[in-house]
Amino acid sequence: MSGRRTVYEIYWEILVYCKTPRSFTAIINRCDLNSKTGQEYLAFLSGKGYLSAVAEGEKTRYVSTPAAGEYIALFSSLYQKLFDTGPGFRL
Amino acid sequence: MMNQARIRFKTEIANFYRISLINLVFAALAMAFGISYMVTAVLGSPFGPQDFLFRLVTGAVAMACFGLGLSWLLSTLRIFEGVETIQDALHAADEPVSGERLTCLIVRMLAHYRDNRDTIRTMIRVSTAGGCVFFVLSITSGIRALSLTANGASAMFDSLALIPSMLLTLGIALVSLMSSYYFSRFAGHWDRRLHEIEESECALKKTLEMGEA
Repeated sequence: MSGRRTVYEIYWEILVYCKTPRSFTAIINRCDLNSKTGQEYLAFLSGKGYLSAVAEGEKTRYVSTPAAGEYIALFSSLYQKLFDTGPGFRL
Repeated sequence: MMNQARIRFKTEIANFYRISLINLVFAALAMAFGISYMVTAVLGSPFGPQDFLFRLVTGAVAMACFGLGLSWLLSTLRIFEGVETIQDALHAADEPVSGERLTCLIVRMLAHYRDNRDTIRTMIRVSTAGGCVFFVLSITSGIRALSLTANGASAMFDSLALIPSMLLTLGIALVSLMSSYYFSRFAGHWDRRLHEIEESECALKKTLEMGEA
């Protein structure tokens, strides 16, 4: 996904994508990040315990932890709420 | 809750897709009409000094229409492509669309809106200006079709042939003004949503801070 996103949207995207173990390259490609910012986001999420690194042979894969579930659920409910409240765009 | 969000999101995207599509068609028509009026103004039959001035004004207005039409077309194209991608993804998703997929598409649409917020604002201004210019153009065509004399108005058969083009120009003017109105409304709704997201970022930040580190 590309375009201007907030950091919280990028965190959500990484966490949802990493529900199954993913490599660093796959994550930055999918989330349209450069290597440097990708490292920063992964370091932040790993530091908060939302993402854990799993060694598979020589490769390292990242997977969301159960703790990430709370953030994912809150994010989804807040974003879906945008379309529940207030008048919508009609023709 | 999710059902309502899903239905509303789908409806909004479909409506915006329609508006963008209509815009695209009429922007192309506006451009074509601008060219056509310019050619008519330049290559008309022999004329007197009064007619020359009239043609000069019509030609200048037509050139402005062409420029506005081109600008309108390019802006709409960019917005249309993004909305079309989201609309396609929404149609390709299995029914009922999962909560995760819906959130993903909402995030995509918000990112697309943030990217094109300035373009949409410009488009609102261009559409309004375009509508006014086309309105003037249709009025000048109407005056040409009806020969106004001291005794009243009369119309030659040849001049009556201008009436369909005048009506089409009037139609473009109305669609242009209408799309400006709808784009303003769309921008209003999505600006409100962006504002709501900014407000809810506190809750997300709090949740993230509650992490282990």
